[in-house]
Amino acid sequence: MQSPKKGRLQRLAGLLEIPQDIVMDLPRITMLGNKQLLVENHKGIIEYTPSLIRIKLNQGELIVSGANFTLGNLQIEQILVEGTVEEIRYDA
Amino acid sequence: MTLSMAKYINGAIKVKVSGHMPEKFINLCVAQNILLWGINKSGSDLFVWMFLNDFYTIRAIARKSRTRVSIIKRYGLPFTVKRLKKRKILLIGPVIFFIVLNVLASYIWFVDVIGIKNLRSDRVKEIAYSQGLKPGAMKNNINSKHIENEILVNLPEVAWVGVTFSGTRAVVEVVEKNIAKPEDKSPAHIVAAKDGIITEAIILAGQSTLKKGDTVKRGDLLIKGFIPEQITSPTSADQPPIISVPQQLIKAKGIVKARVWYESYGESELVKAIHERTGEQQVSVILKIGSNEIVLKNSQQEQFKLYDTEVIHKKLPRWRNSDFVVESIINIFHELEEKTSEITLEEARDQAKSKALETVQRNIPETANILSRNIELINTSEPNLVRVKVTIEAEEEIGQSIVISQQ
Repeated sequence: MQSPKKGRLQRLAGLLEIPQDIVMDLPRITMLGNKQLLVENHKGIIEYTPSLIRIKLNQGELIVSGANFTLGNLQIEQILVEGTVEEIRYDA
Repeated sequence: MTLSMAKYINGAIKVKVSGHMPEKFINLCVAQNILLWGINKSGSDLFVWMFLNDFYTIRAIARKSRTRVSIIKRYGLPFTVKRLKKRKILLIGPVIFFIVLNVLASYIWFVDVIGIKNLRSDRVKEIAYSQGLKPGAMKNNINSKHIENEILVNLPEVAWVGVTFSGTRAVVEVVEKNIAKPEDKSPAHIVAAKDGIITEAIILAGQSTLKKGDTVKRGDLLIKGFIPEQITSPTSADQPPIISVPQQLIKAKGIVKARVWYESYGESELVKAIHERTGEQQVSVILKIGSNEIVLKNSQQEQFKLYDTEVIHKKLPRWRNSDFVVESIINIFHELEEKTSEITLEEARDQAKSKALETVQRNIPETANILSRNIELINTSEPNLVRVKVTIEAEEEIGQSIVISQQ
């Protein structure tokens, strides 16, 4: 993960004040309370049940657990999770 | 907003995805750039909303992810259109409705004539009907200019005619000419309408011996409706004068002005009793059903020595010309108090004067020229009473035309 190339890119991004998610190809996660969770720049869904969602990212995966999950507006670059979010965890 | 509109126009379906790995189906869809929304899972089945056009491309994805796909719900315009195609009458109904409405609106149903004063509207309508402007005629076939001209030609009393249409109503607006009424030529005398002293006498037609300063009584003949007798003066001394032409009756004309007196009395009391409301009141409520009256609330207005009554009838508004039989009557009794008000002699005199003037003014015509006004206080035996006499001298026209009855 911390290859010398990536480290240089990060420094450059910091220098030019460019958002890091664009440079580093990182997921951008936006939460609205515990009601909505928007994940941009994902790599697909690994598992989906009403109480657990596993989303594949560039590195590793994001595990969201909660209740009454539905997926609204599923597109190639973003996932909108609606329901009650209880826990978010990164799994590398 | 645009997304939900796109969903409606393009049509959307809810699909049940059942199989071993529904997540794979989702990922493959996303990879194929198929928009999914409202994804829900119950048990092992996955429910997904997608556009109708995308449904034809998911067959391969379903095979690849080894899932079975079936449509649960349909939404949007394509499905509505399909349903409407099955029920053609539903579509034809509104179309027929608008066609019928249009057809009926293109005919004239009513013909109204407005702006008429002396003319009979039947006559205007008759001409309009004969020219085709009648209930049941097509609006397009009517030449309003032609009808306007036709009415103008046939009715000489009409100054202007306008034919307009407002919906299914044809309005014929008529403006009548102001034709001067033919003068009454029947022979007439002029008599005095009032007593007076002649101040001016101008005789235009007829015979009169009036002089300025003559006193006339009401009904006296002022100007006779005769042509003055022609007296042929004797041409020679030996021939007797010939009184030839027989008297011919004509309409007498002339202006006779006279001085006329008017008199009137007015009284006023110095001490007057007036009734005033004390503010105390009693209310009784009566419910009237047909001819039966039910007293809902009684009042003891007897305890008032003096009272006046205010009656309020409360009724439901009329509905479709039928009167409601139920009515409530509220009587309000206001207690009255007797009070005396005193006024000064001056005020009483003014009041009496204005009363007297008011009564006399009613008899004086507006054209009269008031010459003098005399106000006189009359002594009465009663100390409470002030009496005033008003005398007005006016100059006015007293001639009145009276038709001579001919045998």
